[in-house]
Amino acid sequence: MNPIIRLVNRNITISLNPGFLIWQVIFPLIYIFVAGFAYAPLIQNVPFGTKDLDYPAFLASGMIGFNIMNSTLVSGIIIWNDRRHGMFEQIMSGPFTRSHYILSNICTIGIIGLVSASLIALVGYPVFFESIEFSLITIPVIVFGAITGSVLFGSLASIISTRLRSSEGFNVIINTVFLFFAFVSSAFYPADNVPEPLRTAFYLNPLTYLVDVIRAGIFGNITEFIILEMLVLVGIASTLFIVASKLLTKLDF
Amino acid sequence: MSCIDVNHLSKSYGSIKAVDDIVLSVKPGIVFGFLGPNGAGKSTTIKLLTTLISPSKGSLKILGIDAIENPLEIRHKIGVVLQQPSYEPTLSVEKALEKYGMMWDVPKTQRKQRMEQLLKDFDLLEIRKKRNEDLSIGQRRRVQVAREFMHDMDLLFLDEPTVGLDPSARRKLLDYLKNKVKTGLTIFYTTHILTEAEYLCDEIAIIDKGKIVTVDSPEALKSKFGKEKTIKIHLLEKISKICSLLEGISDCKINFESGTNIVIHSEQSELVLLKVLKILNDNEIEIEDLSAVPTNLEEIFLKMVRENESNN
Repeated sequence: MNPIIRLVNRNITISLNPGFLIWQVIFPLIYIFVAGFAYAPLIQNVPFGTKDLDYPAFLASGMIGFNIMNSTLVSGIIIWNDRRHGMFEQIMSGPFTRSHYILSNICTIGIIGLVSASLIALVGYPVFFESIEFSLITIPVIVFGAITGSVLFGSLASIISTRLRSSEGFNVIINTVFLFFAFVSSAFYPADNVPEPLRTAFYLNPLTYLVDVIRAGIFGNITEFIILEMLVLVGIASTLFIVASKLLTKLDF
Repeated sequence: MSCIDVNHLSKSYGSIKAVDDIVLSVKPGIVFGFLGPNGAGKSTTIKLLTTLISPSKGSLKILGIDAIENPLEIRHKIGVVLQQPSYEPTLSVEKALEKYGMMWDVPKTQRKQRMEQLLKDFDLLEIRKKRNEDLSIGQRRRVQVAREFMHDMDLLFLDEPTVGLDPSARRKLLDYLKNKVKTGLTIFYTTHILTEAEYLCDEIAIIDKGKIVTVDSPEALKSKFGKEKTIKIHLLEKISKICSLLEGISDCKINFESGTNIVIHSEQSELVLLKVLKILNDNEIEIEDLSAVPTNLEEIFLKMVRENESNN
């Protein structure tokens, strides 16, 4: 078996635990079905391209992007745990190279991101059922968003994990960064109606681009602006991936 | 062909020379002990030999393969138990063994068989379902060592593997390793527990301040450096004039402890002992206990390290 597949197998085994599944499935469900319907009377219709979405459908589609981001935390946690518990050195003294290690992490977050997006799409399906518009173009756009978003946020989590050794530092930084990404984005509310400085901040946040691309894929609204957002995602994901790989390559023992 | 061939190997971190121009050759099918005080360069040497870090100077061949050019090829053929603990906290003991075998591409049926055997050999059956994070330090160490035997290898590096083990587990591990060597495995074993090295190793190198001080078999080291013996005499009562009585004896070093204990180091131990006994007898000083301590590896080790320090 290929060494990368063996490491992916190992990564998935150590990542899948009840806590992670609750974090990945139960929390988004609470957002979709509790917050979605509770806020629906306050936010009645959200314009998205040529459509008017109801708030639960808007939120459910946003939760897919949010969940991809959350699931990629796994990458940072794997690297951080491997360093803290001596497994990084142990793996590197075995039949693997650093490239195997890096690529296996990317594959792991890609798989977890896709599975996670599919799970939320599946449970969120009833709330955006009416507005859904899948086609031969939109489905690849969703898959593209899931993979690019996974690489982007996975690389970011990896960068943080290579710089920090203490658990307190790692948790504080990861939570702060990901909290900012989650709430200063269009995952929970539309960017168009927020005050101007906040709107600018929304578009400094890669989660906004990811969520926009996923929504466009679900609701069949692929515009020039969405294509531009896809390009921005690729640019940021590539840059962060290169930085993460360099830092991982330089990690000493 | 040597299993390990090291030629003028050095590793520096800035101005600090962690490993300084070492030359080593390890024959196959033996336990090669690598001894040294803390910070002597043992772990850095292991990291160099296992290709985890690159040398600043020199060359090394492991199992006939150039470690600088083909590190991955070497890593396919060696096993490594590093000094620091390594474990996946959320996995159970049996899952950790099974997954480690999988990582080494051991076929599934073989993995299952080996896992069951190792659980037995390392007394892990009772804790097989326990998660690694819930184990004691000693249990975790046993799992870490056992795990390495999930895969085949020609050469095993063990960096202080008995740290945290109780005496019984330690002895069991040493016996297990001895049996493995009989099947053709070569072991590179670092420790600072000298009795372990004496019990297990066929050949020993002593490293201090990054330099190899000596390499030989434990027996040869003893005969080469172990002429000195230690004689311990316990007097029945405290004698204040004992220092002045014995000060004229030559060819020995005498320490007086608490006025009743006399410790004598000498290469002419029989002769010195006769002189001491005569003086004690002439002065009617009664002896409660007398013993001659044979030279052990620990004394040789301490002597070598002390000599190395004074030479530097």
